[in-house]
Amino acid sequence: MVEILATIGGLLGSLGPLIVLPIVITILGLILGMKLTQALRSGLTLAIAFVGIFLTVGLLGEKMSTIGTAFSQRTGTGLDIIDIGWPAASALAFGTPVGNAIIPLGIVINIILIFLGLTKTLDVDVWNFWHQAFIGAIVTFLTGSFALGLFAAAVTLLMALWLADWSQKLIEKYFKLPGISFPHLQSAGYMLLAAPFALLLNKVAFLRNMKLDPDTIRKRLGILGEPIFLGLFIGVILAALAGETLTDVILTGINVGAVMLLIPRMVGILMEGLSPVADAARKFMQKNAKGREIYIGLDSAVLIGSPAVIASGLLMIPVEIGLALLLAPLGNRTLPFIDLADGVFVTAMLVPLVAGDVLLTVILGAIVMGIGLLGATMLAPAVTDMVANAGTIDIPAGYSNYTVMSDAAIPHSYIMYAFFKSPVMIAIALSLVFLVVHYFLAKKFPLGVKLFGEAKEPESK
Amino acid sequence: MKTVYLVCATGIATSSMIRVKIQDYLESKGIEADCINFRVAELTPERITADVIVATLSIPEEIKAKFKVINGLSLLTGAGEEETLEEIAAALTD
Repeated sequence: MVEILATIGGLLGSLGPLIVLPIVITILGLILGMKLTQALRSGLTLAIAFVGIFLTVGLLGEKMSTIGTAFSQRTGTGLDIIDIGWPAASALAFGTPVGNAIIPLGIVINIILIFLGLTKTLDVDVWNFWHQAFIGAIVTFLTGSFALGLFAAAVTLLMALWLADWSQKLIEKYFKLPGISFPHLQSAGYMLLAAPFALLLNKVAFLRNMKLDPDTIRKRLGILGEPIFLGLFIGVILAALAGETLTDVILTGINVGAVMLLIPRMVGILMEGLSPVADAARKFMQKNAKGREIYIGLDSAVLIGSPAVIASGLLMIPVEIGLALLLAPLGNRTLPFIDLADGVFVTAMLVPLVAGDVLLTVILGAIVMGIGLLGATMLAPAVTDMVANAGTIDIPAGYSNYTVMSDAAIPHSYIMYAFFKSPVMIAIALSLVFLVVHYFLAKKFPLGVKLFGEAKEPESK
Repeated sequence: MKTVYLVCATGIATSSMIRVKIQDYLESKGIEADCINFRVAELTPERITADVIVATLSIPEEIKAKFKVINGLSLLTGAGEEETLEEIAAALTD
């Protein structure tokens, strides 16, 4: 069985996502009931999106290839691993053999679990299966085994569903969104790690009394919320500190701004291709889940509108940079970069844990990302490998390493990585134990009910 | 030509998902409109030239006060999809 999977994995890898994904998505679309032209259109759009993504990620790699190392040497900070950001990482994850299989795998696992009554979450957000594909790809990198990568991805898919069940009531109470849950591993993973700290922080009265006003923060820091400006600033500062010439400093600023705009645009095309399939998946799953109480699992992007989330997300920018520098002596080599723009995904699900208090959210964010930066440093070899395999960049020695701040900082990413550094049987056992813990959390200690039951009412929407 | 802004957290993920649905629906009704993705952080009242804003998250009050904002969440969950699509079409044709 393992050999068959290994052969499949090898085949997927050698054909590459441009060929495999259109086929997988088209077949999936047909199974889900789409018409042939529609399914083909989705598949083809996906492949085209990848062409665009590889081009733009290649641009990023090309322009930043020497800056990371130069920066770290010149400033002596030792921060030589560049964060490529989640848009690029998502595309790369989907492009790996595990990534090719993740959408059908995720849908099948979800449906089985609902039938068995083991989850109430119907994860229609197939796009976000990429986080699990990312973890699967890292495990494949570590172990060389496609089968183990699939195992890791499957286990993490289950964990995401149970995290969604676990947090559902609290999120519903805080954001006033009934019938919806969040299996989004990125935000839910952080929430899991932050929960114990939140329990402690909530007891510290004086912190809660220092109220930070979300609106003032948004007005002051607002411009950093625009990716092209953020990109320009960081690019210029980075290049300047790396000792580049004036022309190159400006060019880097512009190129980074370009990357901040162009990569997401390409990913948007991917989403457009995927969206009819996701819709068909949703209809299919809802038909098959008839009669059960179901939460619809969505992307935590839906939570970003609240002022508390936005304000704390903006504050994460200086916090993450500060943490990276502070933790350098402790082994951090990750240079926060593209993912500075998306601090909101860290804070989105932390905010309900502290009833919307901006200061407490930022403290939680700092704890979670502090540990996360070290995790991201640890995962860098795996990510660099993924970037190299995208076929557009060579990573010769002396050039930068890459990581993904947002995703490699998810507890589940580095925990699974750590597990699989051990011998296989131990890794599998540890993963299963971790998995069962999730199940019990969801069943016995739901947030907003058993834990954090006294969550205060939030600010008005 | 009418303009619809699709707003979510990043301007990539959920806004792209609802955009396809909205574009197909408007086309089927013969309504011409430009659909543009935005992230919520980029929305300042001066920048907005849309006839309708469809958002998958909550929009700051100052914007809701000046522009027509429709909640697009139903397009993601499926519940209430038809009504929302009709609401969008109506807002563009009045």
